[in-house]
Amino acid sequence: MSKPEPQSSRSEPPAYTPTHALSSENPKSKIQNRKSLTYRTRLLLAFMLVVSAVTAGGLVLAERNLAAAFSRELERTFAAELGAQRRVQELRQAALAERCRALVRKPRIHAALEDGALDLLYPSAVDELRDIMAPTDSAAPGGLRAEFYRFLDRHGAVIAPPASFAAGALAPVETRQLGLPLAPDSPQLGFIVRAASGAPVSEIITTPIVSGESGEVIAALVLGFKPFSTAAPDPGRSLWLGGRLYFGDHSRAGDIARALSAPPTPGVGASLALDGVPHLLFQQPLNPGSLYPPAAEVNVYPLTAFLDRQRLLRWRILGAGGLLLLGGFAFSRILVNRLSRPVEKLAVDSAAHLAGRVRAEAALESTHEELQRAARFSADASHQLKTPVTVLRAGLEELLAHDRLVPAERESLAALVHQTYRLSGVIEDLLLLSRLDAGRLRLDLVPVDLAALIAASVDDLSALPDASGLTVETDLPSTLVISAERRFAALILQNLLENARKYNRPAGRLRLAVRTTADGVELTVGNTGRAIPAAAQARIFERFHRGAVGENVPGYGLGLNLARELARLHGGDLRLVRSADDWTEFAVTFRPA
Amino acid sequence: MNSPPGRATAPRRTPLPVLPFLLLLLLLLLLLLLPLAAPAAGITGRVALPAARTAPVMNQRYEIVSRAGVLATNPPLAVVYLEGDFPAPAAPATVSLPQKDFAFVPALLAIRVGTRVEFPNLDDTFHNIFSYSPAKRFDLGRYRPDEKPVPVQTFDTPGLVTLRCDIHEHMRGLVLVLPTPHFVLTAADGRYRLTGLPPGRYTLKVWLDSRTTLSRPVDLAADSALSVDFP
Repeated sequence: MSKPEPQSSRSEPPAYTPTHALSSENPKSKIQNRKSLTYRTRLLLAFMLVVSAVTAGGLVLAERNLAAAFSRELERTFAAELGAQRRVQELRQAALAERCRALVRKPRIHAALEDGALDLLYPSAVDELRDIMAPTDSAAPGGLRAEFYRFLDRHGAVIAPPASFAAGALAPVETRQLGLPLAPDSPQLGFIVRAASGAPVSEIITTPIVSGESGEVIAALVLGFKPFSTAAPDPGRSLWLGGRLYFGDHSRAGDIARALSAPPTPGVGASLALDGVPHLLFQQPLNPGSLYPPAAEVNVYPLTAFLDRQRLLRWRILGAGGLLLLGGFAFSRILVNRLSRPVEKLAVDSAAHLAGRVRAEAALESTHEELQRAARFSADASHQLKTPVTVLRAGLEELLAHDRLVPAERESLAALVHQTYRLSGVIEDLLLLSRLDAGRLRLDLVPVDLAALIAASVDDLSALPDASGLTVETDLPSTLVISAERRFAALILQNLLENARKYNRPAGRLRLAVRTTADGVELTVGNTGRAIPAAAQARIFERFHRGAVGENVPGYGLGLNLARELARLHGGDLRLVRSADDWTEFAVTFRPA
Repeated sequence: MNSPPGRATAPRRTPLPVLPFLLLLLLLLLLLLLPLAAPAAGITGRVALPAARTAPVMNQRYEIVSRAGVLATNPPLAVVYLEGDFPAPAAPATVSLPQKDFAFVPALLAIRVGTRVEFPNLDDTFHNIFSYSPAKRFDLGRYRPDEKPVPVQTFDTPGLVTLRCDIHEHMRGLVLVLPTPHFVLTAADGRYRLTGLPPGRYTLKVWLDSRTTLSRPVDLAADSALSVDFP
């Protein structure tokens, strides 16, 4: 349990006892646990918040992108579909117009009009138009077959066909719709309401007949057709004419007609809710710029399928978002656990460390005070003791100087005097040690010739009466300078030599050797004699320890301790090299100068 | 090479096809005039014709043009005829009005009422000559170049008849049906000569186009020679 450092305490501080530490740590760690739990929960909540926010943001973004893509796709689809329809329509109209142009060039029709043979007009036309007029029994679907034809005179009025003539039946109210203010100079596309007939609306193409003789428009041919293909009726497709809708689904015609602009403009119309189902409305003028009343094709598309798909996709996104959220939560939980573990450990550790440090500081403080107190006491005690011993020794020496003493008394007194010397040596040592312990010993390092010092010490040794039988061997270089304070170096050397002498056997050997090592200068002091028991070897440097030597050996167990403390203070060390087989050897190291 | 030899060798496409028919026409006119030759009087003169619409080409061919609904020939020609009471002919005359190169030759034909007109097809393809004119309505239907008998029509009513082809819409022909045997087509410079005319009071008329007919009373003495210019 000894502390090798000169400034450390001699005993363990009570704060470091394990029982104390445990009893003080348990409630604190619980508090720490609670704190770290809330920390973990908070971290988890933050993570969940972040994950939720990211997921929600992603969902919103995905939803928006999806909706945009959807409407784009919808428009593209409809535009393509309408474009295809329109192209078909245009092709059909071009074909019809071409046929009409070919018809109005027919010489017989021209002859009838130009040569004043109006009575032959319809009879001639029936031959010319035979192939374009639909047979009465066959309903050619949306083809190029005409339902009826009429001629307009140069003033735009309808030239009535002969009563018995197969120019296609028209009610008077229908015939009136064919007329124009003047025979047109360009083909006109129009639509008329067929109140009486089966088809609700007929498409008419009025082609001017230009005289080959005068170059004037002398008449016009009106051909009536079925408006676009009615073979496969599309309930979403209808025809707007004069504010009413024809074809298509009649049940909602009113609603749709109200939603339309009049006259219709081309393009994508508004969205329209019919029976709670949103519909998309397209309108396309059929005869822009015509002299006939404007008509438009109206397409109404229910968005049910699209909305279903959109809903499905939305659910999928939500599901994916939920899964993502769950995964995110799980992941964040794992992450939080992993993240919070070291933090918690850190928290616990730091709390423990804090407590430990507080305790240690307290202990250190108390120890320091104790130490200070002890050192002061030691110094005081030594100081207080020195004076009486000196007085005692003076008294005893005075008594010894008396002539009347019998030799036995004189011998006793001399022993007493000797004891006072021992006492003052002990006091000196204690004083020195207390100063060492208090850290108040300041070294005044100077170069010291170790060889000379050893030589002097050996001389002193040989002067002692009981050292006469010893053989002293030295192995020294001529000069060897170390950095030390002379008196302390001498004290170390003296203590070692004294030990070597004390524990030597009669007529034993004593050997001193100095050599320079990597660490510094090493002085070994070896002596013959009984070895130190192995169990005691670890404790020989303790204060007031004396080996299992008999009481006849003088000493008080301070020498080695003092020597070691001093050696360490000098930056060196003192250690037992070996002690066995009649040989004990110590080594002390010094710093070279 | 595989075509029939009749079509491959086409002498009809030789230039100046009008000339033989004009000669034939003159011959016919002479034949008509021969019985009246004895006490005949004559009228000569000049009709001021409107300027030709386009520069005359080498192969001059008369065609029917219309301007503002008025039919005339181009280059302009006029028909000068004497209107009056004339004895009916013993037998109806027959004139040929062929279609050649998708045109009527001549484009303007003046005939006396009751004349039979043949319409031979000298082209390689079908023609369908018809007329919706009030003076004569007829429709020959389609006929081939080598159609036999040659389609023929008798024009019984005086007036202007517009001939058309149902197949070729640009084809126009004019037949001026006159109630007199005394008529003549002016030359290109407008000069004309009517001969073999019986003495008497008549109206001398000039048909310029479908709208314009000029007239002037004439008093013809036997063996007299008048000179009448229009206008």
